[in-house]
Formats: sequence, C-alpha cells, structure tokens
Amino acid sequence: MLAAIYALIACGYVLVYRVSRVLNLAHGELMMLGAYALMLTAAQFTTYWPAAIAAAVGLSLLTGVLVYLFLMRKMTGEMVLAAVLTTVALGILLRGVMVLVWSAQQQYPAQALGVANTSIALPGGARISFFSALLILTTLLVYGALLSFLRFGRWGIRMRAAGQSPLLAAQRGINLHAVYALAWGLSTLTGALAGILIALDSGLDQTMAIIGLKAFPAALVGGLDSLVGALAGSLIVASAEVLLIHYVDPLLSEVVPFLVLIAMLVVRPWGLFGTREELDRV
Amino acid sequence: MSEPLLSVDKLEVVYQRAITAVQGITLSAQQGQIVGILGTNGAGKTTLLRAISGFHGTDDARVTEGTIRFKGRRIENIEPHRIARSGIALVPEREKVFPNLTVAENLLVPAAPGLVLAERKRQEAQVLQFFPKLEELHARTAGLLSGGERQMLAIAAALVAKPELLLVDELSLGLAPVVVEDLAARLVQIRRELGITVLLVEQSAAVALEIADYSYVLENGRIVLDGDRARLTNHPDIQEFYLGQSSGKRRSYRDVKQYRRSRRWYG
Repeated sequence: MLAAIYALIACGYVLVYRVSRVLNLAHGELMMLGAYALMLTAAQFTTYWPAAIAAAVGLSLLTGVLVYLFLMRKMTGEMVLAAVLTTVALGILLRGVMVLVWSAQQQYPAQALGVANTSIALPGGARISFFSALLILTTLLVYGALLSFLRFGRWGIRMRAAGQSPLLAAQRGINLHAVYALAWGLSTLTGALAGILIALDSGLDQTMAIIGLKAFPAALVGGLDSLVGALAGSLIVASAEVLLIHYVDPLLSEVVPFLVLIAMLVVRPWGLFGTREELDRV
Repeated sequence: MSEPLLSVDKLEVVYQRAITAVQGITLSAQQGQIVGILGTNGAGKTTLLRAISGFHGTDDARVTEGTIRFKGRRIENIEPHRIARSGIALVPEREKVFPNLTVAENLLVPAAPGLVLAERKRQEAQVLQFFPKLEELHARTAGLLSGGERQMLAIAAALVAKPELLLVDELSLGLAPVVVEDLAARLVQIRRELGITVLLVEQSAAVALEIADYSYVLENGRIVLDGDRARLTNHPDIQEFYLGQSSGKRRSYRDVKQYRRSRRWYG
C-alpha cells in the first residue's frame, strides 16, 4: 500500500527529471493542490464521484502545463540548479497559498462526495479499504500506461529523445517546449491522482506535502531517470519503513526514507536502475 | 541566375555576448547544388552551420549582424525546431543520433507529425534505399553502432524529415577513407535522386572538392577564397595548404608569408 503511494508519486519526479534534468521539489505541493482541487470539484459534481475525480485530475494536468509555460519555461538555458531552486520556491509559495485558501484544518473529501470508504476482505484474513485498493490498482495502471507510452507512443519516443539530447531533438524538429510541458502535465497528473486517492482514503491536510517529499527518496533509490527504478525504489523504501515502524519505533516513519536514501547515495549514487553518466552531468 | 535556395549575407555570430566566431560571411547555395565549406579548426565552419540550423538556449550564441534567407524568408535567430520544419535538416558533427533509442526509433523522431503510418513507411523506405545496411540494424540501439553506421543513420534521420536543404557537418570526421568514399558517393546519389541541396562542411579539402560543385574557404571567421571545383583544385594556395601537394620545389618562407598577407584582402 505504502509502496503504491510512493510509486505513484515517484513516477512524477522521474518524468520531469528524465526529460529536462530538473528535480521538481514542488511535486509534493502540486500533488496536494490536486487533492484540494478535488474539494472544489466535489462541490460541482456531488452526484457522481468519479466525475469529480476526473475533473480534478484534468485540472491538475492543466496546472502542470501552466507551471511549465509560465514559470519553468523561463528557466530553459539557465543552470539546472536555478531551475531546481525555482521549484523549491514554487513549493513554498503553493503551500502558503493553500493554507490561506483552504485553512490548515483536516478535511474529508470522501464525505463531501458522499462515498463510503468500505473495507474489502482479502483472502488470508487481511482487510483493505476501498480507496487503498483503488490506489494500488491506479498505480499499476499508471505505470503500465506510462511504460508503453514511452516505449511505443510518438510523443513518448519524442520525450525520450529530448531527454537524451535536447539540442539534437530540436534540430530534428521537436518542439522542446511542448515536450517539457507534456512532461510537467503528466507528472502533475500522476501526483494529483496520488494526492486525491490518499485524501479520499485518510483525509486531507497540510502534512500531505511531506508524503510527497518522502516519495523523493524512492525515486532516487531506483535511479531518477528510470520508471522501473522508481517502482523498485518505492518497494524498497516502503518495506524498510513498514518493517522499522513495526519492529523498532513508529516515530521512525518520517526518517526511514531518508535513511535509505543516504545509504543508497553512499553505495550507488546513481540509483539501482539509473544511468551513471546522468549524474556526472549534475 | 534564379534566386538561390539559401543565401547568407554579411553574417556575424557572437558567442556569450563577447566572442565573435563568424564575421561578415556572404555565401549562397543554388537549388540542387552541393556546396562545400572548407577550413581548418576554429575557422567558423560549424558556427556557420549552427547559425543556419538555429541556436539553442544553452549555446548562448546569436546572429548579431547580417541575414540568412531560406527560400526568400529570413530565418536567423529562429528556434531550431521551426527551422527544421521549414525544410532544413542538419547532420551534426558530434551528438548526431539518440544513443539510447533504436535505429527505427531514431528514424521515427524526425518524421513530420500527423503523418499516416503508410505515408511514413513509404518515406522511410525511400530513405533506406540509400542505406540498405540500416534496414538490417533496425532494432539495434544506436549507441552500439560503428562510426560509419552512425553517420549513415544521422543522414537517414535527416532525410526522413524531407528537407530541401541538407547541412552536413564533417562527413569524414573520424571515419576510415573507404567509408568516407562510400558516404560521399551516397551523398551525390541522394542529391541526384531527391534533388536536394547540400551544404557540406569539411576539414578534409580532398573530400569536399571531390563532390562539391562550388566551395568556399573559411579562415578565422571570414571567407578567404571561393570558386568552382576547377578553380579551387588548381589554385596554388589550395594545393599547397589544403591538399598538401607541393608543386615539386619547396616553397620559401617568403611565399608563405605572401600567402598569409594576400588572404587578408578577402573577408
């Protein structure tokens, strides 16, 4: 379950990094924004909750594209560090705005939508809540879709090309801005999906951005430019977290992902599935 | 003569707002010609090609003076992908293929958007007839190709976009003479069958003069000499300094100095 959350968030980091070499440190906040967008759309589509989710996800896709067009586009040609710092600033700004608009109180979009989070019995006596199950399913679907899109899709191949050599891609007639905007849009979309499903499962407040931050080690452990790596990294980080919480101390929960991250950076800085050469450029 | 396909007029390019790499180059290419640009390292050949194909944000370079016209339209300082779509394709000197993509994917990237599959396949087949070897390597990752195969793939990928003007930066660089000979012959064949214009930048004067209809010699960012094949191959300075055929008796130091002085009068 935790692994699915991390994986769904981590693929957003990977998408943006792979295409533009920029670490989007505002990903957690963008994901939270997606969840709050659901509060907005919930008021519009009270009768049919999947429509509300779809609308919120659509809004998030748009948000990602707009973030690129109005903010990150200005950073092309600048240093990568400058772009990363811009995302940090964006994150802080978004968090502030979200507190102003929606207050720091915990909210329950599931109630607003009138959906009960029933629990489903699994074989073997375990139980899983409906939205947790939905989240795991979504993660699998998103990964399947992204992998085949990057492998076979026209725009997927373009994204890979642009990630490898932006200059050559431009000379071959690829509009880099369109590709980057698409990467940001997809990244925000997947993040928002995660944010929405978490909010539906366990409520929504300002601490959600921390989950986003905790997924970052998962992406890095797997190798920042690899989707498969993000999946593996999420499994590793999540199992480490669950085991340590269970056997050592529940308070460790916030710390574990970063412990794993540090251990990984010492042993294999480019991650499990990442390319070595990618990091040399940073 | 009719209006040339490409005309460059008094072009000046500045890097990082400080370094002038090309100063006042004027040249033109007629439809269907192969035009050679000769010159040593740092003469400004690559900069000239890059100016025509468009600078990228990280290049930190700009055309500060002069104009570049393609089919009569001015194209200086336009984004590379727009120039590519207007019908100019570049075979770059270094990063010329996407190393982690397969040969087939490399050929797919530049194809015009919105083409139906059949049309795209037809275009690809037309290009691959010049390079049958690439057909066998279809599923191979481009990073694993040899230098010659990589050059073929780069040319093929440039042609898939159906350009009217093909810019080739250093056809012969790092390749065995037999391979270069073969590629040069393909280029002539491509020009003949597809009717496209080729602008070929070369350090190796022998290669360029063999296939180019008209050539320009670049030194220190200026054109110092130009002419058709007959004029340049018979020019004593070209024979001496670019083809390395000395005319029997060794030239004295004074002659060389004279040559250096005479060059300044062009530009």
